[in-house]
Amino acid sequence: MISISLTVNKQVYQVEVEEDLRLIDFIRDKLMLTGTKEGCGEGECGACTIIMDGKTVNSCLVMAFQAHGSRITTIEGVAKDGALHPIQQAFLDVGAVQCGFCTPGMVLSAKALLDENEVPNRHQIREGISGNLCRCTGYNKIVDAIELASSYIKEGQQDETSSSGRQ
Amino acid sequence: MITKCIRPSNLEEALEQLNQQGYDGKLIAGGTDLVIEIKHHPYEKSTLIDISRLKELRFIEIGETEICIGAGTRFSDIVNHPEMKGICAGLWEACSSVGSPQIRNAGTIGGNICNGSPAADSVPPLLALDAQVIIKDTTKTRTMPLKDFYIDKGKVAIEANELLYAIKFRKPKKDEYITFEKLGLRKALAIARLSCAVFISLGDGDKIEDIRIATGAMGAYPQREEALEKLLIGEVFDAPLIEMSTQEIFNIAKQRLGSRSSAVFKCEAIQGLFGKALRRAAKEAKSYDFHQFNS
Amino acid sequence: MKPLQVVGNRVLRVDGKAKVQGAALYPQDINMEGMLYGATLRSDKPHAFITIDLEEAEKIPGVVKILTAKDVTGHNHHGVLFKDHDVLCAEKVRRIGDPMAFVIGTSERIAKEALKKIKVHYQEIPAVFDPLEAMEERAPKIHGESNIIYHYKCRKGNVDEAFKACDIIVERAYQTSMVDHAFLQPEAGIAYMDEDGSVVVLAATQYPHFDQLEVAEALGLPTEKVRIINPAVGGAFGGREDITMQIHLALAAYLTGKPVKVVYGREESFYAHSKRHPIMMKYKTGATKEGKLLAMEVMLVGDTGAYASWAINVMRKAGVHAPGPYEIPNVKVDSYAVYTNNPFCGAMRGFGATQTPIGSEQQMDILARELGIDPIQFRLMNCFRVGSETANGQILHESIPLVQCIEAVKDRMFQELR
Repeated sequence: MISISLTVNKQVYQVEVEEDLRLIDFIRDKLMLTGTKEGCGEGECGACTIIMDGKTVNSCLVMAFQAHGSRITTIEGVAKDGALHPIQQAFLDVGAVQCGFCTPGMVLSAKALLDENEVPNRHQIREGISGNLCRCTGYNKIVDAIELASSYIKEGQQDETSSSGRQ
Repeated sequence: MITKCIRPSNLEEALEQLNQQGYDGKLIAGGTDLVIEIKHHPYEKSTLIDISRLKELRFIEIGETEICIGAGTRFSDIVNHPEMKGICAGLWEACSSVGSPQIRNAGTIGGNICNGSPAADSVPPLLALDAQVIIKDTTKTRTMPLKDFYIDKGKVAIEANELLYAIKFRKPKKDEYITFEKLGLRKALAIARLSCAVFISLGDGDKIEDIRIATGAMGAYPQREEALEKLLIGEVFDAPLIEMSTQEIFNIAKQRLGSRSSAVFKCEAIQGLFGKALRRAAKEAKSYDFHQFNS
Repeated sequence: MKPLQVVGNRVLRVDGKAKVQGAALYPQDINMEGMLYGATLRSDKPHAFITIDLEEAEKIPGVVKILTAKDVTGHNHHGVLFKDHDVLCAEKVRRIGDPMAFVIGTSERIAKEALKKIKVHYQEIPAVFDPLEAMEERAPKIHGESNIIYHYKCRKGNVDEAFKACDIIVERAYQTSMVDHAFLQPEAGIAYMDEDGSVVVLAATQYPHFDQLEVAEALGLPTEKVRIINPAVGGAFGGREDITMQIHLALAAYLTGKPVKVVYGREESFYAHSKRHPIMMKYKTGATKEGKLLAMEVMLVGDTGAYASWAINVMRKAGVHAPGPYEIPNVKVDSYAVYTNNPFCGAMRGFGATQTPIGSEQQMDILARELGIDPIQFRLMNCFRVGSETANGQILHESIPLVQCIEAVKDRMFQELR
């Protein structure tokens, strides 16, 4: 066993893990955060996407011990105070969710994209989710949702500025 | 089976550990190939040495005449670098075409080189840039041409106690350009079925001062096509020369691939792929504006 | 009248909120106190008689029980049309991937370790992989006396006479490939014994009601003692219509009294479920020089692999759709479903209707080219309209918007090129 300490969804964990444990198994089986999905186990499908130190990675391709010292966001850490994140809301509003197995990874890829580029064009969105497969082939709706999420986020910021202006 | 994990905090410690572990030790950086090996196949080594977080291996240095890239540099570091696309387009294009955003965020250029895959995306452009690899162990640093680094499929000229530290190459100048072309089954997450990089230096009257051509997935490992280069150096770049050289690369592919099942497809495809890379490289090398950043 | 609440309004899907938060539970996300783990031993030979030696595997600490055919408490069979699958192969394997044993262990690692220690003695027998060869009298038989399990015939008019009147005849052969659904969620499930003595199976399935019948029959239980719960399903596309692990899990829970879970990886998922039927097609299509279709003769051979699954329905549908959406006065279709030792084929999006346009539409393009007629015009001259009669005699009374569809596509297609 090897000891690791890391932050997942803003909570600090100090745990012992098996040497050959993958990060996805740590997240799903030890932290019981089962929103992170395993679709292929070899980095082809993106269902296991998490955000690690600000960047998306396939958690099936990282060893758990390598995550020592890192800051991780999984799908469970995206909503704030029980309120859906604008990306999650947009996925719902557009109808971008079908079987839902790709959805957590898609949402995290979208989040990493929008965190870096607030107003991506459709091409950049497609590039941003190019590591995530949807077998229900709802890609157009997903691209629509990310576009909508981008506008939600901008509106939200305007609301914040205007409301703080009023205070 | 993996029974031991080591997280060295700096390069010196990593080299020390590598030396101590001997044949049992295996370096892990991005892990995008290695973790699959460990999970899905019986794995012969027992100790992983994690170098994914070593800052000393993660750098892009652009000097007056030379570019040096740390082996632990991730593909997305290269893709997002403000100057790399302008200075060595072909390498940038290759790095952008690796896997997916997730893979590029984890995978390193050093890992791509050391895995010795015939289809490694970043290697043909590095070969065409005539890159050198810098290899370290606890006592010494040695440098060798990348083209001599490949021994066979999955085999590279590195000892168990050695670590690939960095890759360096001469910075392309005005009138020089490098391109990369790749055929995959789709745009993202596609391993190269075939790839090709062309570096060209054009002189007055479109004379080819220098040219370096490298292919990927057209043999046991990525390689330079030096026989073809020799035919082109000193010649004037024109339509008959393009035709002659695509015919020649067909002959090379045919001879090298022999009776492999992919030969028919690859012999045909390499002509188009190489032709495209060559024409684009020559066109860009001629356009003066492109190299404004260098003046 | 009150305004409509649902029709004509945007409705958020009931499972949407859970899915965007990663809170929806797919079978692999469900764990139970004290559960055991299963792993399936699969054949790596396509056609062989087998004997299985469990001795060494059973000695591994943590191995609770290893199920083989003899442990099946009811009928050792299942299948949607024919009961041609063994739950666990008793004597013979018919394809690579056939399940032979199911290890139950205290951890996934132990169960998988035990798989490696099971010794299988294969007595290989000749196999057949080409469906045309499989149709021959002397071919190795996969099940019973013949590999041909279905022959659909459609006869309209007289093709032999009609071909004589054709100015042009195009004859070509086409082949489609086997396709996997690759739904994103690999199969997983968990089974346990309920307080009232029922077996409960949680698995992502397209047919909980069929699964209940199959599990009950294989376990020898009345259906009211079997419950199937369908949690979130990560895509199916036809690939979850056949049983994969449901009976193994039910049996394991029934015999151990404990919850038992199994999760397939992507590779095992490919072995476990059905594929789309590859179809070999021979088309002979004739028309007048003015471009009127007169006759079509088609032979289809669908390779259903080692098990029938929905082969009969699929190859019937393929036969019905073989002529395409065109009025042809003389049609002869023969569509066969054939067993081979390939992976088994069943339902997948389109159910046989997806494959035949590869043949019928290329025939249309070739005919148009040879006649010197624009391929779109050629289709418009022959396509179904209200009142058309299909090859199998159906009069299309309404809703045949094919002409509008072709014209809309034509306008848009060439707009982009302009």
